[in-house]
Formats: sequence, structure tokens, C-alpha cells
Amino acid sequence: MKTIEVKICLGTSCYIMGSSYLQELADIMPSKFSGRVNIIGHNCLGQCMSQGEKSNPPYVQIDDEILDGATIEKVLEYIEKKL
Amino acid sequence: MFVDIDAFQHKKHNQNAYGDYFASKRTQGRIIVVLSDGLGSGIKANILSCMTATMLLKFIEAGYDIQKACEIIMNSLPVCKVRKISYSTFSAVDCREDGTALIAEEGNPKFIWTRKGNILDTQAYIVTSKIFLNRQMQIYNIKLEPLDRLIFCSDGATHAGLGTKDLKMGLGRNGVIGFVLNRLCDNPDISSRELSKSAADFALSVEEGKKAKDDISVVSIYMRNPRRALVFTGPPYRDSQDGFYANAFKNFNGKKAICGGTTANVISRELNIPVRSKILFHSGSLPNLMEMDGVDLVTEGILTLTRALEYLEYPPYDTPEDAAGRLVKFFLESDCIDFMVGAKFNPSHYDPSLPVELEIRKNVVKKISKLLEEKYIKKVTLQYI
Repeated sequence: MKTIEVKICLGTSCYIMGSSYLQELADIMPSKFSGRVNIIGHNCLGQCMSQGEKSNPPYVQIDDEILDGATIEKVLEYIEKKL
Repeated sequence: MFVDIDAFQHKKHNQNAYGDYFASKRTQGRIIVVLSDGLGSGIKANILSCMTATMLLKFIEAGYDIQKACEIIMNSLPVCKVRKISYSTFSAVDCREDGTALIAEEGNPKFIWTRKGNILDTQAYIVTSKIFLNRQMQIYNIKLEPLDRLIFCSDGATHAGLGTKDLKMGLGRNGVIGFVLNRLCDNPDISSRELSKSAADFALSVEEGKKAKDDISVVSIYMRNPRRALVFTGPPYRDSQDGFYANAFKNFNGKKAICGGTTANVISRELNIPVRSKILFHSGSLPNLMEMDGVDLVTEGILTLTRALEYLEYPPYDTPEDAAGRLVKFFLESDCIDFMVGAKFNPSHYDPSLPVELEIRKNVVKKISKLLEEKYIKKVTLQYI
């Protein structure tokens, strides 16, 4: 069965821009995704540095794709699409 | 040798201020320690002991010979009109990292000197006050060896338990010695912090109803090989230097911490050691810890450092188990702490739309190092890279 890896950036900018709330994803993951989504924290995905003023934290990496301005709803929607 | 020093105190029961005062200052290759016991208890004793200890510390620090400095204090301490005794007693130590120690005592219980589980004794040189003939000061000039310990306590510790069924005459100096030797037998490497706390707790435990009849203070000095620690925070200013500093970090002999997500990425890339995330959990309001082989602690940067500064400045009763609490524990369990502070800054941290204002790393580290030096008596070096 296909599984998805969700990396939540816990770097400074991401954390204060909302990734602290994204940590709740693990608790509220709908049962239909159970066992198919692996949620982990990441020290820094490096996006804020590389994007400069276009930076839009918090960032979440879903498999190989980067999602900016991430919210719980956005991440769940993305997972739904991928699965 | 590193001079590990700490003190622990219990207030007299029902008092809201400590009547004993402990002060110390570490300067180049030398540490000055003063313990003063103010007459009476509470605020009055606190003011008297604080004044005595602070003045003595300043005198010795300013270059006065310890005997001269203590003589000035001994000759100038006023006499209490009611009890006809001096306003405070004191013990002062000028200890060098080469092991030479000059000790002056006036009125406090004689210090305890341990070496390899035994008690050492030494003769004092007596100085009598020219003004108050009933005042005498003992001067000791001793040579400490690695792993030697010195214990100083106020009479609240030696008199603990006075009048109780088991200890009619109180714990006495021998009671304190017995406890210390037992503790050292169980744990020969115990830190000064733990030893002073356990001895003061023991003295309190023998008091009737565990209510201290006097202020109890125990100061512990431990001559030991320093526990070294290195904190790497912030990426180096020049990318070309990343490898050099990452290797310096790798080759450091001691405990290591990384504070910063990007910093961890730089070291991970240069040393080819992956950063692993721990299972996500809610750790207060700070990002979780990460893990890296060969590194004792990996945390986020500026938020964690800022919180650690708060904990150091206003210590919570129980240090929280969040990343900042772990960092504070890391600091306090080390004697010599080196900071490698990367000067590269992340522009996104200064985005005016961020909901919280982020401090500048260099400033936070400077404040932390000042506190570690002055309040926690650590040896700190700062290197900007």
C-alpha cells in the first residue's frame, strides 16, 4: 500500500508561522489515512533561506514536494489528492 | 584543575529571607568565595551577611590580600548592643586553579577538607583583632590536589538537630563530616551542586519537624578535571568555512550541542551525519529536539536560546523538560562552555510580518554567557565564526 511521508519544518520561521499547530496533524489524522501517512518533524527544510523575501512559511514536505503557507486543511487536502 | 563550586541554603523556619549569604566570583585562574552568617535571622540577618560578604568579595577582588581584607572587616564589624557579639561571621576563600588556597574564617565552623575519602587537617595561623580583643580570625594556607574537596557551612548546619532526642548537641562538625564522607563513598564524582544540596537537606532532615532553627548553608568546592562542552549555533559567515568549523566541532573533546535548524543541516552535510527527528510530541511552546550521532543535544536556534536565557535568569522551580530546559541542564552539567557563534543570519527571521519579534542570536548568546559566568560561575568562551 502506498504511504506518504509528511515532513513538518520546525525551523524558527516555520514554527512561529504555524508549524507548531501542524504538529497536531498526527492526532487528528482521519482514520481513512491511518497507516498510510508518516508524519515527522524536520529541523529545517531550508526553504526560508533559499526563498528569501518570497518565503512563505510554514513549509511542509510531502514526499518530494514542498508545500508553502501550510495549514492543517491544506496538508490534509494534499494528502487526499496524493492517495 | 577546574574549581567546581556551588552552595545550597535553607531558610530558618518561618522566615522569608536567608540570613546567610554566599557570594563568589571567578576571575582569571582564580575563584573567590565568601560565606557570611548574619546575626539573627530574616531580613536583618540577610542585610548584615550580604553587606559583609559583598564587601569582602570586592576587597579581595580588588587585589587586597585575603588576610588584610578579612582583618579590615573583622575590625569594622559593629557589635550587637544586646548580644555583645559581632553582627556577622564569615569564611573567605581565595582559590587558584593550581590548587593553592588561602582561607580566612571568623566565627564560622571550621571548613572540612577531604582527599580520597579521608579528612585532612591543617593548622591555622591566628590573627587577633587589635580593636575587639575577643575576635579572632583563622588563616589557612593549603595546597589542594586534583579531586580534593572543601566544605564550608554555617553554624545552622553544624547545630542542626540541637536538643532533639537523637542529637542532643546537634549534628556537629563531625556529623556533617560523616554525612559528606558517606555521600562521597556512594558517589565519588558527585558535583558540588549535588553535594551541597544533599548536605543542606540532610541538616534540615535532622531538625525537629524538619523545621530549621537557624539558616543552613553548605558551600562545596571540588577541584576536578573540567567537564567541557561546546555549543555550535548559527552557520558560519562564509560558506567556504563550513567544513573547517564542522570538523572543529567533530574533533572537540567534550559534550556537544547544536542550536539551530540550519546549523544542524550545515554540520550534517559537512560531516555526512543525518539529522533524525524524534517522534513528534508537544513539548511546551518550543520546537522538538532532533538527534544526530555524536551530538548530545540538537535544538532549534533562537526561540530555544531565548527561552533558555529566561530559565537561567529566572530559574523555574522545576526546569521544564522542553528543549530550552534540556539546554539549561546541558549548561549546568558542564564547567567550561565554548560557544561557536555563526555570524550568518537568516533574513526571514527579520520579516516584519512575523507575529513575534526574534532576538539577534549574538546578543542572546552574549547574555547567556554573561549569566553563566556571573551567576552560575562557569568558564565561558565565545568565538564568532
